[in-house]
Amino acid sequence: MSSEQAFIRILVVDDHPIIRQGISVLVGTQADMSLVGEASNGREAIQQFREHRPDITLMDLQMPEMNGLDAMATIRGEFPDAKIIVLTTYTGDVQILRALKSGAYGYLLKNTFHKELVDTIRAVHAGKKTLSPEASYQVAEHSADEALTPAEVSVLQLIAAGNANKQIASQLSITEETVKSRIKNILSKLGAHDRTHAAMIGIKRGIIKI
Amino acid sequence: MFGQTEGTKEDADMSDSRIRILTVDDHPVVRQGIAGLLGVQPDMVLVGEASNGREAIQQFRLQHPHITLMDLQMPDMNGIDALIAIRNEFPNAKVIVLTTYAGDVQILRALKAGAQAYLLKNTLHKELLETIRVVHAGMKNLSPEASYEIAEHATDDALTPAEILVLRLIAAGNANKQIADQLSITEETVKSRVKCILSKLGANDRTHAAMIGLKRGIIEL
Repeated sequence: MSSEQAFIRILVVDDHPIIRQGISVLVGTQADMSLVGEASNGREAIQQFREHRPDITLMDLQMPEMNGLDAMATIRGEFPDAKIIVLTTYTGDVQILRALKSGAYGYLLKNTFHKELVDTIRAVHAGKKTLSPEASYQVAEHSADEALTPAEVSVLQLIAAGNANKQIASQLSITEETVKSRIKNILSKLGAHDRTHAAMIGIKRGIIKI
Repeated sequence: MFGQTEGTKEDADMSDSRIRILTVDDHPVVRQGIAGLLGVQPDMVLVGEASNGREAIQQFRLQHPHITLMDLQMPDMNGIDALIAIRNEFPNAKVIVLTTYAGDVQILRALKAGAQAYLLKNTLHKELLETIRVVHAGMKNLSPEASYEIAEHATDDALTPAEILVLRLIAAGNANKQIADQLSITEETVKSRVKCILSKLGANDRTHAAMIGLKRGIIEL
């Protein structure tokens, strides 16, 4: 039916049933939107996407089984025009950048008001890319920083797990000197006082996870 | 105020044996989800919404709900502080914590502050509704994950308040000397507390201890 074409068809992906309910109610109040599917993890998201081909996917990042970033990468691999809006609790700048790089069209926080959420859905549907103010701020705040190299991220992850330099060296098959030198760079790039501080900053900014 | 709520105290006095519920969460989508869920329950009515602890207290005083669904992480005033304030004024207040995190220390803090139940937000609708009804009937409840977390650490020695202070300073990247200065104690005392902390948490080093502290809800970012 031609009137169906006017709907923005939406898929919601979140492991919290109450969030899916909230989106469902919200979408129900919008004349130009329709909820076509729900998923509670990345794997289901991919299945649902293939089945329903939504116009817009609202995607949580932290989910069991398969997270939002991996799901997004898979979906966009198969459907390069997929428009996905990340809807999450976290504003680590590195996580934001990772999401945008993976092809997200929008990055919204869950404390977003209904109006901003529906406006974002319409804007993204029209082809625009958007970011929550807080997310923009985080990205701007660290945009001039030098990013950690993958090698440095590995070291930071091992530091956070409580490994001493000697153990890090043997785990990564490098010398202790190399480890110390990487740590020096890490502390400098993150503006951290010591390794513990570096680990905390790493978590806050979404560079590593606990 | 915050969208459609019905059932003022007057309405309730007139009819009504429905369970009166107040929702407290800083995520509008969550509040909407709960409103949608409760809206179809014949034995429940949403009487108020709040987006932080301060508003929660105001709404509680205004609406006298049977049950409050309380998020923990909120701006302005968090859920634990609101919970404590409400139960101080209204010792019979029944509060169900509905949150994302299941650190055992945080769970115990909530229960000790008087929460009747601790649920995670990945809880299914059925479980949430059941919890509301059993708490209204006078019982308590915990999400399975919460029970597991508590059980996991039940026989551990808890950190003392003094140790928590040290752990917080460690997490902020302070060396022992700075910690000693900040807490006006000797470096020896700091070293000895750090030793206890590592032992109690089963941590390899101070960084590991900080991570465990974060994970279990002993300290916050």
